[in-house]
Amino acid sequence: MGFMSASVGLTRYRIVEEDIPSSLWHEVDDRLKRNAFRDIDASAEERSFGWVSFDNMLDPDFALCPPEKGPYLTFTLRLDTRRVPPAVMKKHFAVAVNEAMRAMRDQGKKFLTKEQKTEIREQVELRLRARTLPIPACFDVVWDTNRQTVWIASTQSKLTELFEELFTHTFGLHLEPLTPYFQALNILGAERKAALDDFEPTVFAQGGA
Amino acid sequence: MDLEHAETVSLALGQEFLTWLWFASETSSGLFRTKEGEAFSVTVEQKVSVQGGEGEAKETAVCSGPMAELREARLGLRNGKKVYKAKVRVERDEISWQVLLDAANFTLQGLKTPKVEMKMEEGEDPDGRILEKIYLLEKCMDYLDVVYARFLDLRFGPKWQEETAHLRRWLEN
Repeated sequence: MGFMSASVGLTRYRIVEEDIPSSLWHEVDDRLKRNAFRDIDASAEERSFGWVSFDNMLDPDFALCPPEKGPYLTFTLRLDTRRVPPAVMKKHFAVAVNEAMRAMRDQGKKFLTKEQKTEIREQVELRLRARTLPIPACFDVVWDTNRQTVWIASTQSKLTELFEELFTHTFGLHLEPLTPYFQALNILGAERKAALDDFEPTVFAQGGA
Repeated sequence: MDLEHAETVSLALGQEFLTWLWFASETSSGLFRTKEGEAFSVTVEQKVSVQGGEGEAKETAVCSGPMAELREARLGLRNGKKVYKAKVRVERDEISWQVLLDAANFTLQGLKTPKVEMKMEEGEDPDGRILEKIYLLEKCMDYLDVVYARFLDLRFGPKWQEETAHLRRWLEN
C-alpha cells in the first residue's frame, strides 16, 4: 500500500534511541542498498523482502529516487511471495501420489509411508512454486528525521513485525509502536508512569459493566 | 513493565479514549485547539464498533450508515461495552480528513486526506506532491495527538470524575 493512494492504512512508531550518531545520516543510502530487495522471479524461493525506492519498486539501487525528501527519508518495503493455490497443490499432490502408488504396486508393495508422502508433497510444492510467479507487494515508509518518528503504510501485524525487524537490522535502531500505552507514556512523561501502569478502566454504564 | 501488560493497558485506554471521543464529539461539537491556538474539530461518524465481555463471552456490535445515529452502539455502551473502533472526521476550516481508529493499537485505517493533485505540471519537482501528502498525513496525526493529550490530561487529572458523570448523563439521553 502506498502513501500516495486516496486511502491509506498506517502504523506509527517512535525511534527509541535518543542519540542517533550523526554519521548514520551519511550511511542511509548504503544501509538501504545493503538490505535492498532481491528479485526471485527466476528461482523457486517462497519469499523475498527488502527495500526499494519510494517511487519505483523496480529500483533497489535507489538510482532513480534517492530517499531524502526535505527532512524526511522515504523508501519502500517490497515483499514478494510465491503462493501455490491450495486447490492446485491438492490436485498435483494426488497425481504424484497415484504415480508413486503405481510404481509401488509394480514392486509388490501396498502402501506409501508417511515419510514418502511428505517427500512427495515437498517435491510437488517445489515444482509448482518454480512455475508460479511471485506476487509483489509494496509498503511505503516515511521517517521524519526531525521528530524521529516513522510510519509504514500497513496495519497488518505480520507485515509490521517483518518491517520492525528489517528496520532494526538495517539501521541498528529500535522502533516503539505508538500504541495507546506508549503514546500516553510519551505525553504524560516518566514521572506519571506508575499511574499509567496502574490504570483501572472507568465504568461508564450506570448498572456496572 | 512487560509488553503483555502494556497491551492490556493499551486496549483499555484506547477503548476509553474512543468512548470519550464520541461523547466529546457530540456534546462539545468536538472542538479542540492546538497549543498554537489553531481550532479544529473531530467528530465520530458513520461507523462505530463496540465491544464488551472477555474471552469466549466477548461480544461485538458494529454499526454503520452514512447518516446513522448508531443507536445499537449507544445501547451497547449503556450495557457496559466500550468503543473499540470508530470512524472519525477531522476538520479544519474547509478541509477534512477521515480515518478509522483502532482502540487496541491506534493504527489508522483508511486514512483519507484532502486531495493531492497527482498530475504533474512540466518542470515541477516530483517531490512536491510527496511532501504535500506527507504534510497532510502528519497534520491529521498531529490533530489526533492533540485530542489524545487532552483526554489524558482529563483522565489522569482531578476532573475525571466530573467528566465521567457528564459522560454517563450523555449515555442515558
